[in-house]
Amino acid sequence: MNLRIFFFIKLLVLAFISSASALVIGSDEEEIYIDANFSGKNLLVFGAFYSDPSQARDYKSDILIEVVGPSEDVVIRKKESFFGFWLNSKSVEFNDVPGFYYLSSTNEITNEFLNENNIGLLNKKDTQLIDWSALNIDWGNIRNEKDKESFYDALIRTKEIEDVYRKVNGKIDIIDGNLFRSYIEIPNTVPVGQYKVNLYLIIDNKISNEYSYNFMVTRVGIEEAIYSFSKNYPLIYGLISLLIAILIGWSGAEVFKRFRKV
Amino acid sequence: MSIYLPIAELSVNIFLLLSLGGVVGFLSGMFGLGGGFLMTPILIFMGIPTNVAVATSANQIVASSISGTIGYWRQGLVDFKMGGVLLIGSFFGSILGVWIFSKLVALGQIDTVISILYFSLLTSIGMIMLIESSQVIRDRVRRKTVKRKIHYHNWAHKLPFKIKFYKSKLYISAIPPIIIGFVIGILSATMGIGGTFILIPAMIYFLGMPTSKVIGTSLFQIIFVTALVTLLHATTTFAVDAVLAFFLIISSVIGAQVGVLAANKLRGEEIRALLAIIVLGVATKIALDLLVEPNEIFNISVIRALF
Repeated sequence: MNLRIFFFIKLLVLAFISSASALVIGSDEEEIYIDANFSGKNLLVFGAFYSDPSQARDYKSDILIEVVGPSEDVVIRKKESFFGFWLNSKSVEFNDVPGFYYLSSTNEITNEFLNENNIGLLNKKDTQLIDWSALNIDWGNIRNEKDKESFYDALIRTKEIEDVYRKVNGKIDIIDGNLFRSYIEIPNTVPVGQYKVNLYLIIDNKISNEYSYNFMVTRVGIEEAIYSFSKNYPLIYGLISLLIAILIGWSGAEVFKRFRKV
Repeated sequence: MSIYLPIAELSVNIFLLLSLGGVVGFLSGMFGLGGGFLMTPILIFMGIPTNVAVATSANQIVASSISGTIGYWRQGLVDFKMGGVLLIGSFFGSILGVWIFSKLVALGQIDTVISILYFSLLTSIGMIMLIESSQVIRDRVRRKTVKRKIHYHNWAHKLPFKIKFYKSKLYISAIPPIIIGFVIGILSATMGIGGTFILIPAMIYFLGMPTSKVIGTSLFQIIFVTALVTLLHATTTFAVDAVLAFFLIISSVIGAQVGVLAANKLRGEEIRALLAIIVLGVATKIALDLLVEPNEIFNISVIRALF
């Protein structure tokens, strides 16, 4: 289905040849709907790049795909042992962290490169490189650098376990030298809202070209209707829940009364 | 086949839900217990968030206690006046309980507090049931019948505001039932239970009510306490999951009716001893979760998201 689009893009790239390098992208999806049966989806991102028209095509150029989900505020709590009981004690509040983060590249990209270019929050091996002041964090009573790192690591780790933070290498297919295609796994645990896809063309460890576009993740179906109803009309929602309970409870007693008489 | 729970925000197996509701309903019909004390911790073991488990259990108990009350009411075993007086206390107790609950959620301590409350509660219930049922079994083996006093005269008769409860043949102060109701209200709101297993002994031993009227009356007042708790949770913690409640209600109502039928045919003590062991097992699991060092000592909760 995408062959025609690929061809179109290739034409576009040829048109761009006059410039030093080019990056054109397309995607098959502008909105992802999550319903009760949603079990994840592969979002297709594709496009074409042309690195340097004066030289022969080289494969040193890399493509970096970054997907950033809607931001949210989270609390990370640490359990500590009190007289043998493991209880939540210290907590740190991270504000405006992405609810989804995905990073993939044709080749391994160094953390130094990511930090220099302000890309990526998954550089957990180099927490000392992270500029804390750039993040909106309420540390509470945590002062120690090592403790800060452990909380940040915990944030990344839990998000990775939930499958909403991912960093992958080599999940981008290069076709015919200057076309690329990648399937990005959107798991069913993702938050709803606006997502941003950032694409970078990297040549000689420098960003040569970049392109961004947005897509939406929306919840649909009866479950979503119930969810928003419970938030918007809590009293009516509570009364309906009660009514259902009363009706079923009552009819249960009636049905079995007859059943017992027979 | 699994179903997505919109408030709990996760998918669970539908047959697992139905069998949980059925078994808990069966036990509640059999022993006249609400069953919330088993329902809530098992829901939590299944991965349902604590606040959703508590609030939804309350909603489910509304249905099972209505079903049960109708049965006892037909046999004339409900003291509505006593139920009403208990409710005065429960009303204020459940408001306080939901307030405490939402404070604990904000502090991030709800899971721990619920675990400790459930551990204490289940251990005491389990031990009492085990001791009591084993005594009955032993007495039966020895062909001994235990004589019980029919009427108690205690401090409940000496306090002011005395009211006549014709149905229960009592003339006691309104203060003890209000206090009992108050405590039940708090427990119901924080733990998602009806509180029958506390209410029944309290009504027998503190108020001196006749045993035959106790179950029906406690079920009657639990309808209203859990209904209020459901409404309070729906409007303050937003944790009532209507889909989860629906499947639990359907299966527990059927289970409860089967349980009532079974109660007339089966001998209670052995099953009560078995239930005691199940209850102690759940208590042990809760204790282990508190005492064993967790694999992941950090946990995350989203406090603001775009919806």
